[in-house]
Amino acid sequence: MTHIERRPARGLTSRRAIGLAGLALALLGFASPPAALAGHPAPFAAKAGVELAQNAARSWAADAQLIYVENDDDLDDSGAAVRWGYLFYSASLDQARAYSVRNDKIVQAENLAMKFQAPPLAQNWMDSGAALQAADRQVGHAFRQKHQGHLSAMLLMRGAFQDADPDPTTWTLVYTAPHSASLFVMVDASAGKVRRTWRG
Amino acid sequence: MRTESMPRPRRAAPRLLGHGLTVLLAAAALLPRVARSDDAEGVREIRVERVKPRKEKYPTLRFLKANVDFIRAREDRLSEKPADRKGGAESIDPRFLAYRELLARIMAGRDSIARLDDQRQKEQLLASVTELGTLEQQLDQMDRQLSDQRTRLAVLEKDFTGDQRTSLMVVLSGYPAGAAIASVGIQLEDGGVLSVPLSDDQRTTLRQGGVVQMFHGLIEPREQVVSVILNGERWPSGDTGYVSLDPARDRLTVLKLDLSTVQVDPGAPSIQASTWVHDAGAPPIGS
Repeated sequence: MTHIERRPARGLTSRRAIGLAGLALALLGFASPPAALAGHPAPFAAKAGVELAQNAARSWAADAQLIYVENDDDLDDSGAAVRWGYLFYSASLDQARAYSVRNDKIVQAENLAMKFQAPPLAQNWMDSGAALQAADRQVGHAFRQKHQGHLSAMLLMRGAFQDADPDPTTWTLVYTAPHSASLFVMVDASAGKVRRTWRG
Repeated sequence: MRTESMPRPRRAAPRLLGHGLTVLLAAAALLPRVARSDDAEGVREIRVERVKPRKEKYPTLRFLKANVDFIRAREDRLSEKPADRKGGAESIDPRFLAYRELLARIMAGRDSIARLDDQRQKEQLLASVTELGTLEQQLDQMDRQLSDQRTRLAVLEKDFTGDQRTSLMVVLSGYPAGAAIASVGIQLEDGGVLSVPLSDDQRTTLRQGGVVQMFHGLIEPREQVVSVILNGERWPSGDTGYVSLDPARDRLTVLKLDLSTVQVDPGAPSIQASTWVHDAGAPPIGS
């Protein structure tokens, strides 16, 4: 007959408890993204900050309309940045006001010192990640490889760089390289197609 | 004593939901909240600083600023182009057309209630059974008017609930024993100064524990510094203190400035300020 001996439950010794706590912390460290661990704000795609900026802009002027978006911090390979800038124009105030969003907070708000009146962006523009993919696929990736370049800016606006058909909202991606002229790639923000490229 | 209000810039009109001093003694929605705010959760005491807190500056829209002349020139060229297609008007949301009608009915309802009330007062002098019957009919009519009013308010509430905007309400409470305050001003970071003179009645109200609303308007949902300016005989050119606020998005933030602690020498920084998010929803219709 097999005799099963039931051993009394024992509390954790303090050494064991410390060891387990250390293990748990180490596991937590592997599981969490480095940015979050270090307390750094996380990068996000351009669209994620629009709502907050729009909320602020409506407080500033009821007729405020989004006219321009630009990365305020370095872009990563997925078209995300830690900080994005959003520019609104109010016809009633005849003024433009910018909001810089980081970590789901507005960290900077300022009126644009110079006069700048651009048409409002379309509602259904594609996010920065998809625009970057389209640009990279066609020309951006090759430029980066050939010239050791990198993506330095993404600009969302309407009209400025497209004379023939200025109405669509477009992303303009600016690739720079240390010893070569910059590459500009314009992507239609609704169709996701590269419309134009040029060096400058 | 300076009692005039300084003009706000152009944007002030749409932003202010209502300004000027409004004694809130009868405003049941807020007063109990203020009265119990000292021990309520979520109330945060904030310092009124003498020196404006410095904020870190973040550069924004660098590419645009560096190339604005070029981009603006391109945009200007576009605006000169004639449109080659006809602009079609979109139909207006019928609800917006209905609001005007609702307002007209509200005003008509108010007039008829006032007329009926006036008539009722006269008729009270004639105490006859027949007239009492008429009175009952009129009361029924008033009841119907109130019922219609409730329905119309329900329509408005249905359409606008959920469209809460980020807003700030600044209220004053208390009055100092040793310093006379002629007016209190506030200035948001992106706005002009709103200076609100205190009348004798309002001073009495504050002394007796009442609350006075001095500002209720939209505010950007971001950390910012609000300037508070005291004016009076002892501060002829105004004495300014600064409070840091971070208004919660899509909520009403209340900033209470307790003036009872104000002393002449420290001036504005001796204001006891507290802030909280006003969570109470709209009062029930008809209450």
